[in-house]
Amino acid sequence: MPAMTFIEAIRSALHDSMAADDRIMVLGEDVAVKGGVFLATEGLLARFGEHRVIDMPIAECGIVGAAIGASLHGLLPVAEIQFADYIYPAIDQILNEAARFRYRSNGDWSCPIVVRAPCGAGIHGALYHSQSVERLFTSTPGIKVVIPSTPFDAKGLLIAAIHDPDPVIFFEHKQLYRSVRGDVPEGVYHEPIGKAVIRRSGSDMSVFTYGLMAHYSLTAAGQLAAEGIDAEVIDLRTLAPLDRDAILSSVKKTGRALIVHEDVLTGGIGGEIAALIAEYAFEYLDAPVRRLASPDLFATPFADPLEEHFMLNPQKIAAAMRDLARY
Amino acid sequence: METNDTPPHVRLGLSRQRLVAGLRTMIASRETDDRLWLLNRQGRAHFVVTAAGHEATQLGCAWAIRVGHDYVIPYYRDMTLVMALGQSVLDVLLHAMARRDDPSSGGRQMFGHYSSRRLRIVSGSSSVGSHLVHAAGLGLAFRARGEQDIAVMGLFGEGATAEGAWHEGMTIAGIHQLPVVFVCQNNQYSISIPVHREVPVPDVAMKAAGYGMQGVVVDGNDVFAVYEAAHQAMERARNGGGPTLLECKTYRLRPHSSADDDRKYRSAEEVESWRARDPIKRFEHYLVEHGIITSEEIEALRREVRAEVDAATDAAVAAPYPSVESIADHLYG
Repeated sequence: MPAMTFIEAIRSALHDSMAADDRIMVLGEDVAVKGGVFLATEGLLARFGEHRVIDMPIAECGIVGAAIGASLHGLLPVAEIQFADYIYPAIDQILNEAARFRYRSNGDWSCPIVVRAPCGAGIHGALYHSQSVERLFTSTPGIKVVIPSTPFDAKGLLIAAIHDPDPVIFFEHKQLYRSVRGDVPEGVYHEPIGKAVIRRSGSDMSVFTYGLMAHYSLTAAGQLAAEGIDAEVIDLRTLAPLDRDAILSSVKKTGRALIVHEDVLTGGIGGEIAALIAEYAFEYLDAPVRRLASPDLFATPFADPLEEHFMLNPQKIAAAMRDLARY
Repeated sequence: METNDTPPHVRLGLSRQRLVAGLRTMIASRETDDRLWLLNRQGRAHFVVTAAGHEATQLGCAWAIRVGHDYVIPYYRDMTLVMALGQSVLDVLLHAMARRDDPSSGGRQMFGHYSSRRLRIVSGSSSVGSHLVHAAGLGLAFRARGEQDIAVMGLFGEGATAEGAWHEGMTIAGIHQLPVVFVCQNNQYSISIPVHREVPVPDVAMKAAGYGMQGVVVDGNDVFAVYEAAHQAMERARNGGGPTLLECKTYRLRPHSSADDDRKYRSAEEVESWRARDPIKRFEHYLVEHGIITSEEIEALRREVRAEVDAATDAAVAAPYPSVESIADHLYG
């Protein structure tokens, strides 16, 4: 099994699934000739041609809308939004159109598209190349929201998203693109959407997280193990629909819950998870549910000290875990 | 031999059967429209958005579509169009009264959101202009599949041409020369806003130049002019000749919807002047003049349609609503 970086896993998912199924097409800004600004789609144009790998004008509503239109004719389009920060012009298409096609036609039509969008901070991207916007999509039914953290999951979940009957918003933390590496099978395989995984088993507390923060939380858990605190780290992988069973069974085992995400605190998915735990696992709790998230700003400012202050890191997560363990 | 005197229906190869069926559809649409306003006043239909006045534009467009083969992306005013494509008076009334067997949405969408996968009529939202990007996407899909001899018709009012999504759909279709015919039904008002406050050029069709496609203006109350232009545009699209923006100039004869009072923004004289140019009367006059049908036969047709609308009203009123248990069906696949 070859070791791949996260971005190679994304590219491999697109390549292998397109080779296996000619209904799959890719469209977005700079995705064809350039191969994407992060090179996620590099090589696809040469292999699959300009009718399946399409450079689009700077028109995010048009990119997602065209993907929707193509899906109506039985294709499986993968639209790329160059940065998650630019998904806003496409929101009407995602929430008012793609999410509702099946429901509003009473099951007659469906809209099996994927919208890929690089997200996240820590790369000096400032206010408009750093945003985490998953909270904008997790409260609308009809769509699924996926954020992988490992190369293996990136490939398996992207392939599953492409073949999923519903629209899937697929966020990729751009700091992970070249910083993580792992074994990735060749060929087509599916990881299940809607299923969390336990990255580290533990008995003292549950840490619910995803994306880049799954890595930081694991590092923090390693530090705490040396201090005698045994934390369980759950990588949610899918934010909509949430894996409620995985969340509740973990917290019922440990009695303590910390939610860690890079998206902002207010309105972030952490609030929903905390509510879920309060509603269905209150009697199992030994401490209040805690959330650790980015401050309620738009994204990180450009200046280095501000970015450092904005970003979570393993030390901040470890501190929050210690605090929760002491309660 | 064809001359300038050759009647348009002969020149366009429209058979007597097609012409009479077309007239019947126009009358059925207007009679259903009238009935819906009545049902609205009776509290039995929550909302009506009118098609009155647009019948010639929509019938002419429908004639240019190969039903179940070409895709149609309508907007809320397209009742005549969907009837001409195969939805019945009962289908429309079940939709308007939000009954379980509404073929467009199963009682989920407000009236005017026509849909049928079988007929390739694409479901839409109420977000004006947002559907034309879907038309462009269908064009990309045909290309990806190597399919030719197929086209999309997307329809909208002139108000939609101010929307960003409309611009993006036109841009993508123009860049890739996709087989899409964009049909603007310019009825001169977007609810209350007159056309010169919504469109900065005299003809919507002038905008086509900015998107690398042909722009065509026709009298939208002349069913033959509409059909000829729509047919040419659809054929050009099917044959790889790229997209067209077809502007059909018309007028809506009723308020925008049952929630509108048009007396606030247009004069009774103006409306009356357009009533005198009613596209159905105009079509009837043509057919009688050319010996296609007699006035007596038209009256018989109208009586037949009214009986159908009566029966469909009774059936729709008696039809069941969707069950409460079904409220979350089809959220996910």
